[in-house]
Amino acid sequence: MNKLLSKKGLIVCLTVAILIIVAGAFVAGFVGYNADSTGRNYSSVEVTDAGYSVSDVQDRFVEFCKAEIEKTYAVSDVKVTQTYTTGGMVFTYYVDGTPDRAFCDQLETSIAGCTIEGVNGSLVSVTFHEGKNLGYYNYMWRTAVGAAVAFVLLFAYVAIRFRLGMGVTVLIAGVHDAAVVLAVVALVRLPVSPALAGVGAFALLLSALLNLLVFGRMRSDLRTDEFKGKSAAEAVSESVRNARPTVLLVSVIAAAFVAVFAVVGAFIGFDMTSVMVSALFAVLAATYSSLVLSPALYALIKEKWDAKRAQKAKYNFASEKKKKEDAPAEVAGEIR
Amino acid sequence: MGKKKSVALIVLVTVVLLGLLFISITPTFPVKTPYSFQSLLNSVRLGADLGGGYGAVYYPEGVISAEEYAGEVARYENGEGTDPTEQYVAHGGVYLDSEKVLDENGEVLESFRTEFETAYRVFKQRFEDKNFTEYSFWIEDDYTIRVEVSDVSDLETVSDMFSILSYSGELYFSDTDTSTNSKNVLMTAGSEHISGVSVMDGGDSGFVVALKLTKAGREKFAEITETLSSSSSSDSSSSSSATLYLYMGTDVLMSMSVSSTLDQDVVYIGGTTSSGSVAYPTRESAETVACVIRSALNEEDVFSLDLQPQVYSYGATMGEHAALIIAVVFGVAVLAMLVFSLVRYKGMGLAHVYGFFTYALIFILCLAFVQGIAVNIAGVFAILLSAAMMVGFNYYAFRNIRKEFYTGKTLTSAIKSGYRKSLAVTIDTHIILFIASLVLYLISLGSAQYMALIFLIGTVISAACTLAVTRFYLYMFLAQPKNKIAFCNFRREETEDE
Repeated sequence: MNKLLSKKGLIVCLTVAILIIVAGAFVAGFVGYNADSTGRNYSSVEVTDAGYSVSDVQDRFVEFCKAEIEKTYAVSDVKVTQTYTTGGMVFTYYVDGTPDRAFCDQLETSIAGCTIEGVNGSLVSVTFHEGKNLGYYNYMWRTAVGAAVAFVLLFAYVAIRFRLGMGVTVLIAGVHDAAVVLAVVALVRLPVSPALAGVGAFALLLSALLNLLVFGRMRSDLRTDEFKGKSAAEAVSESVRNARPTVLLVSVIAAAFVAVFAVVGAFIGFDMTSVMVSALFAVLAATYSSLVLSPALYALIKEKWDAKRAQKAKYNFASEKKKKEDAPAEVAGEIR
Repeated sequence: MGKKKSVALIVLVTVVLLGLLFISITPTFPVKTPYSFQSLLNSVRLGADLGGGYGAVYYPEGVISAEEYAGEVARYENGEGTDPTEQYVAHGGVYLDSEKVLDENGEVLESFRTEFETAYRVFKQRFEDKNFTEYSFWIEDDYTIRVEVSDVSDLETVSDMFSILSYSGELYFSDTDTSTNSKNVLMTAGSEHISGVSVMDGGDSGFVVALKLTKAGREKFAEITETLSSSSSSDSSSSSSATLYLYMGTDVLMSMSVSSTLDQDVVYIGGTTSSGSVAYPTRESAETVACVIRSALNEEDVFSLDLQPQVYSYGATMGEHAALIIAVVFGVAVLAMLVFSLVRYKGMGLAHVYGFFTYALIFILCLAFVQGIAVNIAGVFAILLSAAMMVGFNYYAFRNIRKEFYTGKTLTSAIKSGYRKSLAVTIDTHIILFIASLVLYLISLGSAQYMALIFLIGTVISAACTLAVTRFYLYMFLAQPKNKIAFCNFRREETEDE
């Protein structure tokens, strides 16, 4: 990573990112995100136990019912809820397929004949449901508007306090990171909950933090005499090398946490794993953009602006000569 | 800083930090039956993904559950009621009343279908307005609504919340109490008379619901309150104030005592009830009522379908002990980070350890006591990000100090210029992240908003701890050792002249 991306490399990277974002937007727009357990459509078998069993008995009963249901339908998840008023337990088995009344009657008969001590079959009833989830449009739109305003303010602040080119770069990097994360999540069909809006916000804030670490360092470096004689690419590259330890430290801390939680999620509930994998995408995107994409982009902008500035400051020999040639005559005329 | 002063400060800071650490993270233990010690971490409100929540299945009038149907069958078999097999028709997992919901061909009545569609659209709007950390919304078996929200039991009564959010019918003011079936409508409360609703802090009397009246609404409200106050004062048998009720359909949403003419743009309803209790002790309880009123201001959103909730509780959606495991992982990682800091930076690392503990403990205090905070999985990201930021900027400053020191400066001068070098980027980053999270907090909803609030607080604490607290601790510790350079894990080669 010592060398900056070339112009060609930058164009390839940005094109790939745009393709990912467009494909992700297409999938998210037309197919939608893959909802996790809190937002999916479902077919379920619901076993209501009005009796009060101790936790050990309850666990055995849940396993018994699951085994019975799995004879006909694959069970994807089991959810335990408790009725607020009576305290009775409800075990919801999310199944692949569409159960019917006959299946529920058959399950009720099996439960009545079960030999688990402490379970009273006559207090157990079985029913089935089909649920269709309705999306969270308001949450998503409000977060998108909030993020857009945050991006504008981020650009304005960096452009004023740092340099205009840095403001443009931070804005592009922020939009790139948040959009790529959301697009990749849609493309790989990772199950997501409304927490995805939080992951998007996390990507935005992390991208801003890491990019500011790089540009903060660059701002102070570019002021020094040592950097003044260097070309834009050299100066940016060296400054990024100076900022890299801090950026990597923050990224590694974030990535390590997220990875550990993702592994933990594999044991306690897949919803956590899926949201952590989305967050890992955010960490990777922000680290990549702050160390690779943004410096290359800024070097390109700086090179162009430096050239423009040099062009303005350059001594124009031809026009000056012409001026000098015209000047004596005018001066002479004045004397006359 | 003098040595004595430094020792006193070290002891004082250590005692305060240990005390805070004890009340923050100590596991629950019994104090005196039936009381037990609850740490601050235990009192942090959690979102549905980490702490579970409550749900409700709403059955419209004419739709019953399988359990209820089984009850009807049992009643009929005992010789009571009508034959449910004649009255109800199975539809998925529920049963539809053939008189109320179905036409003569056994098809669902168009009027019922339209009413139900309006009901779930308005319902969804009300739940979105409530801005839970998480909520899920399903249409179950075509004609029931299932809603699941995060745990709000410490903020308002769960069953009341689910009931109030299901109120249906038109909104109107009346002076008739609930005991009389036919209500005397004094003033309708649609958009013609009310332009907006908000919740405000009423001080000692809890929260109030503020109804913003239109010009016509103000005139009409002044008129009805004048009539009510004059009738109550002329009626010597009753008290000097009359009661004005705000109804939605047949349910009372709010009531207020009227003793004089109220000619004002905004009417505040809340305070204490006739029984002396506070009507809306929390913002959330007032917000529930405000959400329902807001949804009824648009005439197109008025529906009359009666919906009965069956409330239940559920566990954390991310796994039974998700919050505990996250806390343990954080604890282990923080420990590893602190050991690394001590090994790598020695004295500066010690200052960082104290600085980080100060940061973490103030953060826990804020999470436990700041109103409106709920930690969900997005909130965990916010905590992680802000902690990484705090650690990153401290290390950045230490690295600058090291660099400055090896340019030949004295330790004190290196610390000063090292901090000065990292000051601009530290301040700029904290400011911009503060602004970004503030904007997200003010504009977004749901998990992103809760995350932004946590990050906002984290940014402020991180800024204070990085820029001031850790630096102060560093000076405090530097007053102690004889060899300050070795204390900071620096080495200086001595030249022959020296």
